[in-house]
Amino acid sequence: MDDAPIRIVDVHKRFGELVVLNGVSFDIPRGRTTAIIGPSGTGKSVMLKHIVGLIKPDSGQVRVFDTDMGRAREADVYRVRKRLGMLFQDGALFDSLSTGENIEFPLRQHHPELSVHERRDRVDEVLEMVELPGLYDRPTPALSGGQRKRVGLARAIVTRPELVLFDEPNSGLDPITSDAIDALIGHLKETLGVTFVVISHDIVGTINVADHIAMLYQGKLIAWGTRDEVTHSEHPIVRRFLGRNLILPHAGEPGPARLPTIG
Amino acid sequence: MSHLRSALAWLGGLVWFVWDWARASIFRRPPAGATLTEAYRIGVQSLPVLLTISLFVGTNLALQGFKAFQPLGGQRLVGMFVAMAGVRELAPLIAAAMVAAKAGTEMASQIAVMRTREQIDALEVMAVNPAWFLVTPRLYAIVLVMPALTLISIFVTLVSSLSVSVFQLGLNASTFLEFATGSIRVYDLLAAEVKAMVFAVIICFVSCYCGFVSTRGPEGVGAATNRAVVVSCIVCVSFNYLVSQVLYG
Repeated sequence: MDDAPIRIVDVHKRFGELVVLNGVSFDIPRGRTTAIIGPSGTGKSVMLKHIVGLIKPDSGQVRVFDTDMGRAREADVYRVRKRLGMLFQDGALFDSLSTGENIEFPLRQHHPELSVHERRDRVDEVLEMVELPGLYDRPTPALSGGQRKRVGLARAIVTRPELVLFDEPNSGLDPITSDAIDALIGHLKETLGVTFVVISHDIVGTINVADHIAMLYQGKLIAWGTRDEVTHSEHPIVRRFLGRNLILPHAGEPGPARLPTIG
Repeated sequence: MSHLRSALAWLGGLVWFVWDWARASIFRRPPAGATLTEAYRIGVQSLPVLLTISLFVGTNLALQGFKAFQPLGGQRLVGMFVAMAGVRELAPLIAAAMVAAKAGTEMASQIAVMRTREQIDALEVMAVNPAWFLVTPRLYAIVLVMPALTLISIFVTLVSSLSVSVFQLGLNASTFLEFATGSIRVYDLLAAEVKAMVFAVIICFVSCYCGFVSTRGPEGVGAATNRAVVVSCIVCVSFNYLVSQVLYG
């Protein structure tokens, strides 16, 4: 995949004795939505932190826009980061700033050429996109969990990045709000046409917006391909994981067995 | 041995943190508006406690000085004793301890909470150096405010000593003032201000670093806050000896 904005090449990472990523390789295609799924504690968030350069791999490469995020100079890493946006699990909003100021923050830092009015217009535009019009002055602590995610998402896209990363966009949300966030991601995918990477262990909604899926299990990539390829995979762990999330057992039926350990 | 190793590792981390801040900040303006806000907060937060402590340190200096000099017939020297001990040593240290307890702990806890809520990671991902963004306004603010707080502490210490000396111990006010002002030079006041600025830098970097390296969760925030005040006070007192040696040795 020559046009891949993200290339993960044989990445290994361990914390002490705990092996978190064990030789993971795949390319994330441009302009598509890729979901990285897997059970909790399987290395998804660590993978995401490698992509944004918050963690360096023990070996292997994580190349983002042709920059090796593990070995690049700090200035080059920052140059890459200016081309991406990220939605954190809890939004990671600054409580001392209002909703609008939070969204405006990256514009203030990196786009001094924009006037106050241009910045405000840009913020109002993304507030519309995340379906929170008129919330510019709302104090951040007054936002609900779902609203925080939307504001975090608005902040992630306000600089018009080429790549948007989502870290567990559904975590901590009720099913209705969770569906609304998934629908919003799907809508933005169509509207913005940029590369999305979604990390989630809640695949029911994620799978609907994903074009490609990578499944991690115990630090290894056990499935990678288009949505259809992965959802029709014969790999027993993939089948069990997808079955556990997509097909609810009938009343009286035992739930799925524990996933096995792989070497 | 392992304690020593972890202490050295912590110290190394602090040095690296200061270096990282210096690289990121040396030619950049501080975040707009934040410095004055921080200065106001640090000053207002620390002032009531500082006034109270300085007041009673002054009263006790007068009492102890009087008791020490009375058997020798040197009660008149109380003013000199209070001025030298208060201006040269105690006022800068009291201001440092109060600022470490109020503002330093707040810096550590704020940054530790930001770490817990992934806000520091968010700054990194938004290509904003967190050391520059979080430390710079706090550093400039505390360096701005600490000398002023130290002068206030000196003034309150002297006034409370004078009050006790005159109204409780029956000393003559003009004698007290004559010995007090005679033993304080402009150099002493400048030295106290230099100490205040050194302590300000120490408190800021130690407290911010404690917040930066805190572990996630409420326990991490509590530990960072506690460590910030303890380490700040120990380092300030240790540096006080060095600075006194350089300025008066």
